[in-house]
Amino acid sequence: MNDKLRDFLYERQSLLNVFIAVFTAMIVGTLVIYFMGYDILESYEALYQGAFKGRFNFGGTLERFVPLLLSGLAFAVASKASIFNIGVEGQLYFGAITAAFFGYIIKGVPSLVHIPVTLLLAAAAGGLWAVIPGFLRAKYNVNEVTTTIMLNYVAIFFVGYIVNHPFKNPNVGVPQTPNVQPTARLPKIMLPSRANIGIFIALALLVFFIWLLNKTTFGYKVRAVGFNPFFTDYVGVKSKLIMVLTMFLSGAIGGVLGGVEVLGIHGYVLDNFSPGYGFDGIMVGLLARNNLKALPFVAFFLAALRSGAINMERFTGVPKEVIGVIEAVIILLAAAEVIVEIKKRKSSDKGGVEVG
Amino acid sequence: MGDLGLIINLNLLRATLRMSTPIALAAMGLVITEQAAITNIGIEGIMLIGAFVAVAVSYFTGSWVLGILSSVAAGVVVALFMAVIHLKFKADVFVAGIAINLFAIEFTRFLLRNIFNTAGSFYDPNIVPIPSITIPIIDKIPVLGTLLSGFKLTDYLGIILVFVTYFILYKTVWGLRIRFVGIHPLSAETGGVHVNIKKYQAMILSGIFGGLAGAHLSLGYTRQFIENMTNGRGFIGVAAMYFGGVTPINTWFASLFFGFTEALGNNLQTFGLPSQFMLMIPYIATVVAITIGMIRKQKREKNNLL
Amino acid sequence: MYVEKGVKKLAPIVEMKGIYKEFPNVVALNHVDFSLEKGEIHALIGENGAGKSTLMKILYGIYDQDEGTVKINGEEKNISDAREAMRLGIGMVHQEFMLAETMTVLENIILGFEPNKHKLLDYDKAYSEVMDYSEKYGFEIRPNSKVINISVGEAQRVEILKALYRGAEVLILDEPTAVLTPQETEELFKIIRSLKENGKTIIFISHKLDEVLEIADRITVMRKGNKVETLSQNDATKEKLAYLMVGREVFLDFEIEENEPGDRILEVKNLNVFGRRKLSNLKDVSFEIKEGEILGVAGIDGNGQTELVEALTGLRKVESGEIKIRGEEITNKSPLEIRHHGVSHIPEDRNKTGLCKELTIQENLIANKLPDDPYSSKIGIINFKRVKNFAEELIDKFDIRPPKTDVKMQNLSGGNAQKVIVAREVAEDAGLIIASQPTRGIDIGSIEFIRSVLLDERKAGKAVLLVSADLEEILSLSDRIIVMYEGEIQGTLDIEEANENNLGLMMTGGNPDFKGGVTA
Repeated sequence: MNDKLRDFLYERQSLLNVFIAVFTAMIVGTLVIYFMGYDILESYEALYQGAFKGRFNFGGTLERFVPLLLSGLAFAVASKASIFNIGVEGQLYFGAITAAFFGYIIKGVPSLVHIPVTLLLAAAAGGLWAVIPGFLRAKYNVNEVTTTIMLNYVAIFFVGYIVNHPFKNPNVGVPQTPNVQPTARLPKIMLPSRANIGIFIALALLVFFIWLLNKTTFGYKVRAVGFNPFFTDYVGVKSKLIMVLTMFLSGAIGGVLGGVEVLGIHGYVLDNFSPGYGFDGIMVGLLARNNLKALPFVAFFLAALRSGAINMERFTGVPKEVIGVIEAVIILLAAAEVIVEIKKRKSSDKGGVEVG
Repeated sequence: MGDLGLIINLNLLRATLRMSTPIALAAMGLVITEQAAITNIGIEGIMLIGAFVAVAVSYFTGSWVLGILSSVAAGVVVALFMAVIHLKFKADVFVAGIAINLFAIEFTRFLLRNIFNTAGSFYDPNIVPIPSITIPIIDKIPVLGTLLSGFKLTDYLGIILVFVTYFILYKTVWGLRIRFVGIHPLSAETGGVHVNIKKYQAMILSGIFGGLAGAHLSLGYTRQFIENMTNGRGFIGVAAMYFGGVTPINTWFASLFFGFTEALGNNLQTFGLPSQFMLMIPYIATVVAITIGMIRKQKREKNNLL
Repeated sequence: MYVEKGVKKLAPIVEMKGIYKEFPNVVALNHVDFSLEKGEIHALIGENGAGKSTLMKILYGIYDQDEGTVKINGEEKNISDAREAMRLGIGMVHQEFMLAETMTVLENIILGFEPNKHKLLDYDKAYSEVMDYSEKYGFEIRPNSKVINISVGEAQRVEILKALYRGAEVLILDEPTAVLTPQETEELFKIIRSLKENGKTIIFISHKLDEVLEIADRITVMRKGNKVETLSQNDATKEKLAYLMVGREVFLDFEIEENEPGDRILEVKNLNVFGRRKLSNLKDVSFEIKEGEILGVAGIDGNGQTELVEALTGLRKVESGEIKIRGEEITNKSPLEIRHHGVSHIPEDRNKTGLCKELTIQENLIANKLPDDPYSSKIGIINFKRVKNFAEELIDKFDIRPPKTDVKMQNLSGGNAQKVIVAREVAEDAGLIIASQPTRGIDIGSIEFIRSVLLDERKAGKAVLLVSADLEEILSLSDRIIVMYEGEIQGTLDIEEANENNLGLMMTGGNPDFKGGVTA
């Protein structure tokens, strides 16, 4: 291989692997559509139109984009400190129930106050919930994957209790909370779709975290702790505290996600309302290789696929589950660290080998 | 009044055993892989695919035996797939497991739609379930009969397999080597043991257990397939495995305990009482148990300086 | 037992010829010959980095040699891995035991060679087999205890027994006494002798000359990748061995100016610290350093130097004793607080501790300033312009290549990476610089540069604690030298009275009474 090309690919091989993953998955999806006897071009056209054409369809894409981006962000932020936060699902439940509560209980304040206050409280709730596994990991080295999975269920059951009992809307049969005040609802931006200003909140958070991680001392500490905690301990950074704080921030993003869903989409919390937003974030984070700047593109791509799938089913009959298969193949391939491996050119001077 | 209490209690114990079977089956597979240093959280997905395959094959062939066998075969395939992603393509074991779980949900949803043209769940009288076993004589004894007889074949199989797992791990050459692979791979390697081959073998066993657990869920515990019907049972299996200290017998007790909390939770619910706190117990117990384990380990390392 | 073929003189059981092994930048073994007679106890001695372990790892199949041949019983063999070595009857007991702690002694021994009936473990047979071995060679072991509950000495016996169980005829013991108490060492020697009586061949790697002289039939000395000499026990004396081991070096020339030490900066009194191993526990260590002075800490790795540095820098807990900087107590303070007292630290493990290879040069250069943030606004926004200026200044001053601030550390050579660390720590303007193995594994140019930096700091009135396993470095830079052995200070020497011989002797546990003069 040409040396320059090899260097170029070596630098970007994780990107290359992601690209191969997505490409392969699309081929698989295309083959599935073909063998099920549908017209490929027609299907993709319907998919495209369903994702982008008209306010309702495009709005639908934007609406799906928000939770994908936020959960991906939550996952990626924790991963910067080498923490694997599988607990976004639980954190968003706490954010959601908190938002539902304060969205309902606070009365007589303008939206400009009501919305930020409610979302901040939701963020705090999600963040505090995430501190538990963060602390256990930092202090006792308890594997956070296991604890966050377990705590997801605790959160879902806890919210289930709140929704079924003390905070149940007495006027409806199903277990759900009362509607939040109109002042707490996020304004819609693309009627008749449900897309709302949550998208601006999500993008603002993304920009904020890119800035925080790259331009501030705190962000530097987070990245350094993630790469090498022995190093940070040695230079005098409190690595464990940084871990816990990072987990708080990650959980807080999850909390905001819950809050935005409640204030923007539903207006209340329903038992088991999340279709697995928290787990979507793992997929988004994995595909973006936890590169924050890549997150919105990945999230948008997946949102468009999902949104378009509904239209595709309606007009061509291709079941929307095909998109699920494509996603599944993407994530399976994206999980692999290396699909192709570009070896680095032999460098002349490596040094630092211990000889015994 | 006393009689009523007795019946409720007996039914509760019966339900406990029923609830614990899928957890215990999954957990046995997990114990084996964990002993080989693979935390197979993909068990959830393996079970789900197994559950679907079992229902599909039973429906088309009219044979629950074939249903179980295909489910086991599917479990092995999926487990091997995950093993390749983890061991060959170097994916983090948790990432691989989560990928398998998401894959299983989407894939079964797709198949449900395409094969049975339905969404949500599939039930049909042509699905032949796993039979219940009535134990002669004991069945007639009042209390004992309720407690011991009339369970599904796989319920009994689950209990037997607990002891089989114990036997495999602690009484066979293979088990000894697997345990070394997990604790001290280097010493296993210098002892001539091929570590990766052993890990693949452990994953195959885990696929068998996962497949059985899935078949039991859809053909034994119920008689239908529902989207995402495992609903975290694989994760409770993970919890039971940790709570039981990664040994078969203790893990079985943990599964029974978790089955009990689930059964009691359901009972509370039928009386309109909040069940959620009951249902949380396995998860909280596991977090606490793992934490205590790690604290102990840290203390031991401090005191154990050579 | 090996069948003796023919009537001719028996071929050596192991014969290694012209073994050459290169690691990136370092020649680890330079055409080394090594031969082992059946039934002998053969000691292999040398400093850290002399190549002993590398040579043995080639014999045991862990490394492949670049050149040279290995013959076993006169037949050339290609030993591809440890399994192959085992098949050829070579066993090795590593310094780090390869035992699973939560398993029993018996299970550890039989692993891979389990007695079985139809693949079911036959514990009874295993037990009796293992007991047979233990009686034959005079081992005291308890097969059914878990490894976690047995002593280090017993664990070592288990390792030896394991190797024998796997059919070892040649047994490599890698510094077996490093982890043992004197009583346990006696016990081990009994076993080694009984192994010899039973026809086994032993390779005994060690630093400790007393022990070598006590147990070995022949001794091979290695230095810097070369075999120096093989002598029989009768021809060897402690002084001679120490001399051969350390050798005469061509010193890099430094002009060391006379310097009157100033005020006392660091004072360490009766320091006791738990170490990674029993023998690296610090026991009542006391010393001091003054301004404008370089205090060398000599010693073979693992004798407590690492623990000393970690205790001084707040990375390891001090059990008792006190550490004072300019009279202020810093014992058991956090690394950050200790840095605030004016202590800089160049750590011994460059890659694990000293730097973050995924971050850029400039990010590594400001790492120790992170906690206090002089390059950031009040709310912690980094002023990249100032950081860049600062980094460019240091890159220029320390001649770091490539001279770019935003290159990731992983693209730097060992020497340049080490310069980044040195630059960062020296730029701190601390009163005390703790430099641990500051030039290990880097190129000559960087070595020279870093050494001259340390001398400049001394000139500027800084105190330097120089921990190094490299005697040449210690001798060419230090004003005074303390020698550490088994966690204690074996002795303190002024530079005028120190030489390779008396240092070598003290490092290997010799009597610090050097004044009588040592001849080679």
